Amino acid sequence: MMWGFHLEFKQSLRTKKLWVILGIMILLYIPVFYIIKSVGGSEITVGGAMAFLIQFVTGMAGFFIGILALLMGATAINSEVEKGTLRVAMSKPIKRISYIGGKFLAHSVVLLLALLLSTVVGIAGVVWLGAPLTSELIRDVLLLNMLLLIAMIQLVALGYIISTLIKSSGSALGMALVLAFIMFLIMPNVVGYLTFKAISDHPNMSYEELHQLRKDYTTKYLFYVPTSQVSVITEDVSSTDENLANTTYYGLPHAIKKNPVNLGILIGLTVAYLGIGFFRFLRMDLR
Amino acid sequence: MLKIENLVKTYKDVKALDGLNLEVKPGQIYGFLGPNGAGKSTTILSTLGLIFPQEGRIQLFDVEVFKDGKFDEAKLVEVKKRIGYMPEHATLWDFLTPVQTLDIIADAFNIPKAEKEKRINELLNLVGLSDDRNRKVGKFSKGMRQRLLLAQALINDPELLILDEPMTGLDPTGIAEFKEIIREQKKAGKTVFFSSHILAHVEEICDTVGVIVKGKLRVEDNLESIKREFLRKAGYTILVETNVPVDWSPSGWNVTPLGEKRYRIAAEEDIREGVHDYVASQGAKILTMQVKEPSLEEIFLKMVE
Ligand SMILES: Nc1ncnc2c1ncn2[C@@H]1O[C@H](COP(=O)(O)OP(=O)(O)O)[C@@H](O)[C@H]1O
Ligand SMILES: [Mg+2]
Repeated sequence: MMWGFHLEFKQSLRTKKLWVILGIMILLYIPVFYIIKSVGGSEITVGGAMAFLIQFVTGMAGFFIGILALLMGATAINSEVEKGTLRVAMSKPIKRISYIGGKFLAHSVVLLLALLLSTVVGIAGVVWLGAPLTSELIRDVLLLNMLLLIAMIQLVALGYIISTLIKSSGSALGMALVLAFIMFLIMPNVVGYLTFKAISDHPNMSYEELHQLRKDYTTKYLFYVPTSQVSVITEDVSSTDENLANTTYYGLPHAIKKNPVNLGILIGLTVAYLGIGFFRFLRMDLR
Repeated sequence: MLKIENLVKTYKDVKALDGLNLEVKPGQIYGFLGPNGAGKSTTILSTLGLIFPQEGRIQLFDVEVFKDGKFDEAKLVEVKKRIGYMPEHATLWDFLTPVQTLDIIADAFNIPKAEKEKRINELLNLVGLSDDRNRKVGKFSKGMRQRLLLAQALINDPELLILDEPMTGLDPTGIAEFKEIIREQKKAGKTVFFSSHILAHVEEICDTVGVIVKGKLRVEDNLESIKREFLRKAGYTILVETNVPVDWSPSGWNVTPLGEKRYRIAAEEDIREGVHDYVASQGAKILTMQVKEPSLEEIFLKMVE
C-alpha cells in the first residue's frame, strides 16, 4: 500500500491541474476579502466572522477543490492504462488492492493539503478583517475540513468509477467536467428555482419554515452533490434573527448534530462510490 | 517454467485467444512469433494477471496461478518476485529520471538500499543509459525509453524474463545489442520468453519458436525446422528471365508470363535445376533466375489453413 501511495503522491504533486486550480482559487480569495473590508468589514463580530469563514470556505474550496477531485479521479486509472505505467507497476509483486488503496490514500492527502491551504488563507483573511483567532475557530475550521474532505473523497471516488468505465482519459476528463458543471451549477440552480416556487406558493411562511424548506429540498434533490450536503450542515453553525441584525454562533458540532441525515448521505454515498470504484479496478483488464 | 493450457480470452466481441497451449522450459530462449493481432500481447498480459482470461490454466514455476476462470492473487504476487516484464507500447513516468524510476521499481521488491544502488548502476551501464541517468524520462527518445523499460524488467535479477515486442522500433545496432543482453541472460541460467512479429528478431538467439496465429499456437519447434516447414507450405516462387521467348506448356509447371521473356513459376519445392535444364532443352538461355522467399505474412496465412 505504501508503495502505491509513494508513487501516486509524487505524481499528484506534479500535475498541472492541481496547481492551476489552487492558484485560481487563492487568487479569488484576495478580492473577496478586500471588498468586504472596504464595505465596512471593521464592524464584523466574532460570530459573524466565523460564520462567514465557514460558509465562504465551504463554497470556494468545495467548488474548486471539488472540480479538482473529480478530474483527478476521472483520469487516475485510464491515463495510466494508456501510458502503460500501470502495466509496469502491476507486473511487480504488488496486490491490486494495495495499489489502488495507496493511490486513494495519496489522493486524499493531496486533497486534504489543498483544503488546509484554502482554510489557512481564509483564516488569514478573517483575522485581517479583525476577528480574533480563538480555539473555537480552530476547532470548527478543522471539523469543517473533515467534512469537506469526505465530500472531496466522494468526488474522487465518483471519478474512479468514471475512470474504470471510460477508456480514453481525454473523454473521461470531458465527462467529468460536464458532470461537475451539472452537479455544481445546473442542479443547485434548478433546485433553487424549485424552492423559490414553493416559497411563492406559501407567501406567509416564517423565516424558520423557509430555512427548513430549503434544507429539505437540498437533502432530497441534491443528495448526490456532496458539497451541497456539507452546505446544509454548515448553514446551521449560526442563525441570524429576522431583521438580520444579530448573528448567533452555535459552532460546527452543534450544526453536525442537527443534520444527521445529511451527514449520513455524505458518508453513505462516499463508501458506496469507493466500493464500486475499487471493485471495478480489481476486476479490470489493464489494457 | 511457464505452462499455458487451453487459454481462452474474449474481449467484448473479439476472441483473442482460442484455446492456446504453450510451454516454456527452464533455460530456454523462447521466441513467440505471430502477425499483428494474433494474440501475443493478450497471452503475455494474461500470464501476469494484468488482464482476465475466461478459461484455461496458467502455471508459473510450477505454481498454478490461474485456473477455473480465476487468478490466485497471493500466489501470483509471490511468483512475480522472480519475473521481469517489459510491456509493449509503454512509457515510464515522465517526471522521473532513470535513477528515480529504477529506485521506485526496486522498492516494489524491497531490495535493500546498498544493493539497490549497485544494481541501478549496473543496469544503467548495461542498457547504455549511464550518461542520461539524471535526465527526465519525458525528454527521452523512443529507443531510450525502450532501454529503460528493459532495465526495469531486470531490476530483481529475474529467473524468467517476459518481453513483449522488445525489439520493435529499435535500429539494427539496438537489435544486436539487445540480442547480446538476452544471450547474457541465458548464460546466467535465466529463461527468456519474448514476442515478435518479425522473423529476423527471433533468428540467431532462440532455441525454440512458437508461432501463434488467430489465438492458437500453430507450431512449437526450433527455428530451422519451422522455416523449412514454412517454405514447404508456402511454396516457392521462381522468377526467370530468358534471352528468347520460351514455350512452357510441355513442362507442366504453373507458369505466369510477366513480360515477353520474363516468367513467374510457382512450385512446391525448389526446382531451379529443373528450370535450368528445361530452358536449355528449349534452346534458350537463362539470363537471370531468382527464388522469391515467401513473406512472413504469406507464411502466417498458410499456417492457418
Ligand atoms: N481491449 C481490447 N478490446 C477489444 N479487442 C482487443 C483489445 N485488445 C486487443 N484486442 C484484439 O485482440 C486480438 C489480439 O490482440 P493482441 O494480443 O494485442 O495481438 P498481438 O500482440 O499479437 O499483436 C486483436 O484482434 C485485437 O484487436
Ligand atoms: Mg502485441
